[in-house]
Amino acid sequence: MAEISNLNIIQVKNLSKHVAVNDNDLHILRDIGFAVKSGESIAIVGASGSGKSTLLSLLAGLDSPSKGEIYLDGEPIHQFNEEQRAQLRGKSVGFIFQAFMLVQSLTALENVMLPAELAGKDNAKQMAEELLERVGLGDRTAHFPNQLSGGEQQRVAIARAFITKPKILFADEPSANLDGKNGHMIEDLLFELNEQYGTTLVLVTHDDKLAGRCQRILRMCDGELTEAEQGKQSNVV
Amino acid sequence: MWFKLALRLFKRELGRGELTIIAIAITLAVLSVFSLSSVSSRIQDSILQKSASFIAADRVLQSANALADDYFADAPLDGLKQARQITFSSMVFYNDELQLAGVKAVTESNPLRGQLVLSDTSFGKQTRLKGAPPRGEVWVSRRVIDVLDIAVGNELEVGAAKFKVSGVLIEEPDSGFNPFNQNPRVMMNYADVPMTEVIQPGSRITYRYLFAGEEEKVKALTDWVEPQLLDNQRWYGVKDRQSPVTSALERAESFLLLAGLLGVILAAVAIAVAAQRYCQRHYDPVAIFKTLGASSKQVRQIYVTHLIFLTLMSVVAGLIIGYAIQSVVFEMIKEFLPKPLPELGAKPFVMAIVTGVSCSMMFSLYPLLQLFNIPPLRVLRRNEGDKVKNNWGYLIASGLTVFLLMWGYSQSLKISAILFAVGATMIVILLLLSRLFVNAGRAIGVRPSNPFHLAMASIKRRVRANSVQLITFTIAIHLLLSLSILKNDIIGEWQNQLPKGAPNHFLANVTKAELTEVNQLLKQQNIHTEGLFPIVRGRLVNVDEERLIQFVSKEKEDKSDAGGRQGIGRELNMTWRSDLPLGNEIIEGQWLKPDSLGEVSVEAKVAERMKIKLGSELTFLIGAQEYKAKVTSLRTVDWNTMQPNFFMIFSDDVLADFPATYITSFHVSDKQKQPLNKFLRDYPTIMVIEVGAIIGQIQSTIDQVSIAIEFVLLIVVIAGVLVLTAQVQASIEERQQEIVILRTLGAKGSLIKNAVMLEFLMIGVIAGVMATIATEILLAVLQTQMFSMDMAIHWDIWWMGPVIGGVFVASIGLLSTMKLLTRNTSEMLRSVNM
Repeated sequence: MAEISNLNIIQVKNLSKHVAVNDNDLHILRDIGFAVKSGESIAIVGASGSGKSTLLSLLAGLDSPSKGEIYLDGEPIHQFNEEQRAQLRGKSVGFIFQAFMLVQSLTALENVMLPAELAGKDNAKQMAEELLERVGLGDRTAHFPNQLSGGEQQRVAIARAFITKPKILFADEPSANLDGKNGHMIEDLLFELNEQYGTTLVLVTHDDKLAGRCQRILRMCDGELTEAEQGKQSNVV
Repeated sequence: MWFKLALRLFKRELGRGELTIIAIAITLAVLSVFSLSSVSSRIQDSILQKSASFIAADRVLQSANALADDYFADAPLDGLKQARQITFSSMVFYNDELQLAGVKAVTESNPLRGQLVLSDTSFGKQTRLKGAPPRGEVWVSRRVIDVLDIAVGNELEVGAAKFKVSGVLIEEPDSGFNPFNQNPRVMMNYADVPMTEVIQPGSRITYRYLFAGEEEKVKALTDWVEPQLLDNQRWYGVKDRQSPVTSALERAESFLLLAGLLGVILAAVAIAVAAQRYCQRHYDPVAIFKTLGASSKQVRQIYVTHLIFLTLMSVVAGLIIGYAIQSVVFEMIKEFLPKPLPELGAKPFVMAIVTGVSCSMMFSLYPLLQLFNIPPLRVLRRNEGDKVKNNWGYLIASGLTVFLLMWGYSQSLKISAILFAVGATMIVILLLLSRLFVNAGRAIGVRPSNPFHLAMASIKRRVRANSVQLITFTIAIHLLLSLSILKNDIIGEWQNQLPKGAPNHFLANVTKAELTEVNQLLKQQNIHTEGLFPIVRGRLVNVDEERLIQFVSKEKEDKSDAGGRQGIGRELNMTWRSDLPLGNEIIEGQWLKPDSLGEVSVEAKVAERMKIKLGSELTFLIGAQEYKAKVTSLRTVDWNTMQPNFFMIFSDDVLADFPATYITSFHVSDKQKQPLNKFLRDYPTIMVIEVGAIIGQIQSTIDQVSIAIEFVLLIVVIAGVLVLTAQVQASIEERQQEIVILRTLGAKGSLIKNAVMLEFLMIGVIAGVMATIATEILLAVLQTQMFSMDMAIHWDIWWMGPVIGGVFVASIGLLSTMKLLTRNTSEMLRSVNM
């Protein structure tokens, strides 16, 4: 069971992001601040274009902010260069994407092994096999992504996300590309594993129902964090 | 760990066919350079070796005086074979008969290239050999035997000495080829010359010093000899001699060089296109790797390893296939080549490897750098990193690589620079033109149910990408058209020059009294000639009022610093006739009419050298009499035809009263030889010169060169097809998303197929038209500047270019689209998502 510690695994202060579009500054995020405790699960919700994906990209160190500070696992990633951020991602972060993002030329097993191999772990294969078994794809290890259904591909992605036992898992609309039944299956799997591994979960979604499964919900509107609310179905002790 | 990952990814990519085009492109660059440089250079070596026999050596120093004994003391002669020859004309005697003979005294090592053919009697068993007659003996030609009625074993007097005739000389490689001045040959030992006492001060003697050996050593000697050449000395190789073989060789060399260069350039373009496509397909995986924590170093390691694996594999494959090809080609043409075959050497290997590695590295570099820079954010923002920036540094570096490859391959800065400049200019013009074509399509509206409108809409949307495609297609089609036309022109021109039935015999020294019998014989045997040309010998002494300076000896002939207009320096063979001989073309004035009086037609080059103009009055000294004639036409003469050719052709009235001998040339089949020989035995003063051996040599040279040319063209065609395929495949991928959307929206397969086919057909046809225009321009430049041929419009390519372009591009496009359409829509959607 995941436990929330008092330690802030994510801390965001005065975070802004703006980009130049046709000589004008477009403000995507304005002066955002919040903290996430270790083991906590939060959902970032909001309409399309509200800035939630940008926030996710900054939190995960995929992009750098225009202003403000982000501390991930105690590390000031706003001061990091791309190399340092990649290192931190490899060590502490897992990802699940709406578009699955599997490497087409690698099998399911190899896709799951990938982060472990990049991190130089020796038992990548064994861990990957166990995880694929865990997500119900023990018999599909040798299949390539285009031989798997959408739901199956996302399960491979989930297995891949957990192989390095990350401290934080970022999930971007994990079930948006799937039908209802498959979507629910994926969501259940995600929360189960999250719980099992005690991972902090940051979930971006526009599905209030899914957001409701998180302990806390951050709502984005026009680049600002308008409210923070408690999840309805807290499964945290 | 990264290595295992890199290896696994590489194997997978290979298995999925992602690397096929780029691998084939590198392989092709390597195998084309390898096989071209080995096959063509070995064929060239063989041809050179073989044609070197035309001068019996690789290089000859010819001098009007004997060189001092220590002349070559400091010369770099190590490793070179040497021979010496002295030639002079002298009367030879047997019993009371006498004959003017061309005496040639040779050392034992003669000839250095080629062989002599010797027989024990006039028509006896022939043996091939190298060497000189033993001391005190001579070998004589059939004509000496016939005219003097001498037999092998009899004694022949040459000057003050008597020699035993010990063989009949049937053929010598360096017999030269001048039907006018061919005195029958007497060959003696070099050491016997003093015994004859023929050589006196003022005698016209030619000394030849022959050298043969490896090209580098010959070149070193050339560098040593050339600075000290006197006016009466010449240093020449087979290539310096204007013969049909020389010009065939030079054209073939230029063609092979050009084709090789274009092959490499096409392969480089294919690599660049395929590498760009490969890297673009890997934007997502790289973004994923980076997101999952891969460092830039790991990403670099993975893809650089790919490139190294790929290069290694392709280079090895290229070398193996190239080696196999050259072995097969050699097996096929072995019989044409002299033995032993020239060694393969390390050069082709080195050149092929350098080309393969530098092509693959240089043309993959920029796409790879872009790949390394793909931000991890692409996993969220799907088009992050898509925008390809123009990078002048990369363009310049690629251009430089192409230029260096061209230079390294051609070893000629001039040719490389010209081709490079022409190519670069053409690309800029094509870029502008293609924009123009593509923009012209903007006016047409769009109705999605019509495949034509869909195709036009697609072309319009991708103006920039289509311009690049159009240029690639145009260049590939253009190079293919140019080379195949050039090949046909070159081979065609050779075949025209020496068609089947080209004259293989000259009949000279026919007197007026013998004309009837000769004509009768020709008629009986059904032998075709251009007629018998009368010959009168005379000197040109005046041009208008100006007296020409006449040099009495050949030594001073080339000295032109004496001021005043210089004479031709020797007696001319002059003729008269009322119809223009074959291979002659009037370029100024009008050809002689049957009733013309006191007129002369002059060969254009002599006219230029002697500053003779149309209307000039020329004075000739014939015997002791001077005659005048007015220049009424200037002619070009094709010296390569096996016909008697003349500098001066007069109207009938001028020379008709002088005693003339007659000459003609004709083709004689083996069957007709016997009656001819029988006839000639009855007329011993008629001289027959067989040039069949020379023609045979020229024809076999041309055969070899044609094989080399066909082979090179084949390789270039494969390279061109590869470029087209790579480009079509790359652009099909760009269209994939669109096709999927259309498919998802319920568009029929046939609509999509027709739209894609039409789009490619239009691009292909436009590329074909542009390629045709470019081809005509390039051919005009190449033919006039590089191959000394006449410019010609090639009507064939005006339909071939667009048809080949359209059909080929459309078929490859259609095939690739069909492959896409056979997959189900959801599968396609999935792969497009990636």
